[in-house]
Amino acid sequence: MSKDILIVEDEPDVATYLAAILKTNGYHPVVVSDAKHGFQSAKKICPVLICLDIMMPQESGISMYSKLKQEPATREIPVLVISGVIQTDDFDFRSYIPDESIPLPDCFMEKPINVAKFLKTIDTLTSSPRKKKRHTHGC
Amino acid sequence: MAAESRSKVPRRLTDMIYQSLFQHVPFNVAIIDRDYNIVEANKNFTEHFGDWHGKKCYTVHKQRMTPCDECPALTVFKKGKAIVTDSVGFDKHGRQTHYVGHCAPLKRTEHSPVEYVLEMIRPVTETAQWQQEYQILFDRVPCYITVIDEQYRIVRANEAFREKFGDVINHYCYEVYKRRDSKCKNCPAAKTFRDGKIHRSNQVGTSKRGQDIYYVVSTSPLKRTGDNVAHVIEISTDVTDLKKLEQQVIEAERLGAVGQTVAGLAHSIKNILMGLEGGKYIVSLGLQKNDKKMISEGWEMLERNFEKTTALVKDFLSFSKGRLPSLKMVDPGEIVKEIVGLYKEIAARSGIELRADIPSKMKQAPLDPDGIHTCLTNLVSNAIDACLMSEKKGSDVIIRVWETRDKLMFEVSDNGSGIDYELKKKIFTTFFTTKGGQGTGLGLLTTRKIVQEHGGKIFVDSTPGKGSRFRMEFPFKRLTALYEEEQKLKKEQS
Repeated sequence: MSKDILIVEDEPDVATYLAAILKTNGYHPVVVSDAKHGFQSAKKICPVLICLDIMMPQESGISMYSKLKQEPATREIPVLVISGVIQTDDFDFRSYIPDESIPLPDCFMEKPINVAKFLKTIDTLTSSPRKKKRHTHGC
Repeated sequence: MAAESRSKVPRRLTDMIYQSLFQHVPFNVAIIDRDYNIVEANKNFTEHFGDWHGKKCYTVHKQRMTPCDECPALTVFKKGKAIVTDSVGFDKHGRQTHYVGHCAPLKRTEHSPVEYVLEMIRPVTETAQWQQEYQILFDRVPCYITVIDEQYRIVRANEAFREKFGDVINHYCYEVYKRRDSKCKNCPAAKTFRDGKIHRSNQVGTSKRGQDIYYVVSTSPLKRTGDNVAHVIEISTDVTDLKKLEQQVIEAERLGAVGQTVAGLAHSIKNILMGLEGGKYIVSLGLQKNDKKMISEGWEMLERNFEKTTALVKDFLSFSKGRLPSLKMVDPGEIVKEIVGLYKEIAARSGIELRADIPSKMKQAPLDPDGIHTCLTNLVSNAIDACLMSEKKGSDVIIRVWETRDKLMFEVSDNGSGIDYELKKKIFTTFFTTKGGQGTGLGLLTTRKIVQEHGGKIFVDSTPGKGSRFRMEFPFKRLTALYEEEQKLKKEQS
């Protein structure tokens, strides 16, 4: 099974860090620095997971997430939102995407990440079949 | 001569004149005897009241069976002098009508007894209604209205004004509006007395309860033509609530800016921390694997993020400096000249021409010169960067300053790389930067903060590949209000 994980992150150092963690732990990270290329890559490589930043130049991560969930080819890919703008406990995703037909992301993580927790989440999201979407804040 | 010429008029002609006058005078005319009988009446009277022959005046006028309590004809019979009356009666259709009348004695000689009373009455119902409606309009219109004479005494005031300012007739307007004991400077009414034209101005008065009343007053002459204005009408719209709302909006904007600043700062710090963590992780990994390339990569990440921390702290200190602007009366053109002096050389070295467009004469404005200097520095610095990012040759940056009727404007435009719609939405709201590690994203946020603290607004108009134009607009009335507030605070503190 493919272990491709797409990292959509405009901060090069953050992307390098996430890629290094994933690579060291047996995943194959693919890094893109903006939402436009992120969406294109998601359709093309169909990764097992997408690590998505929110605040990016040109198009935001929220906008890209919305597109992913409306595109049949990418709808089922789990998304882990990693951002500096959110506080896991009180981040109100619905205020950004009020459309209830779009499910909440599978998990939110606040920067800077805890590596162990990050890896555990990646493992959970990529190995277990997703019977039910997690609609909770944080993981 | 007149008596002589009158005596030459034949009697028959005189009779004709009187008869014609009696019939055609625009009044209802009747002759009444001592027993209240109408003995003669003209056509107007008959048309208005109907058949009067053999009827008493009180029956015809008032549809009564007995004489009126205060009979004007009786008064004339008794006193022998003409009187003016104001009464309510009924016309031939039974409609209640207001009348103004004039009752005069008819006697053979000056000293002989009154034989008849000549009654001339005119229906004024329509006029009375107009007057009533006008009075209601005058009183109830949602404005304060006063009429003042040349001595600045209030001769009339509407209900709304009296309710807010008290009973004010015959008091001086400056006493009532402003609790002053002398005329106001730049009095709009004085201008109207002088030139007979309409003048408007913004004023702050004091209500009878001692509250500040903000109003926009319009003064106009109480006549349509002519130069000698004897009375001026002052119509004021109360904008106190709007003013409060405006202050609340400014406060909300300030608080909003603070919230965004904190969120943006947190975002920047989190990214730096993550970069540092990343550097540490990669160095550690490199050490484990004895991979020098990896160690070097991690070390560079650490260095880069330490530098970012330094830049962020430096910019944030500059951002947080001076929460409130310190306003002084300054020449806005001079600030622009300073900026051009500072950046002209730097821009020229990169092949960019920096120019200023300043009107030959500009009035001084209350500004925080350091704050505006910072704003222009940020905008010019961004404009130069945008030109450097562009592949075009022969770029230029122009700083313009000018004033409109109610605003002071600064504008920095360039023909550099420009930004698209998505970027435009972000540039003022976060610690957003297009310059990667070079920028902290605080420049425009700082600029917006300073502009908002001046009561102004900043706008951007940009097209990718063509360039950008940043405009700062400062309404004079807000600058003046802030300046006055600051002066007041300084006085109180001293």
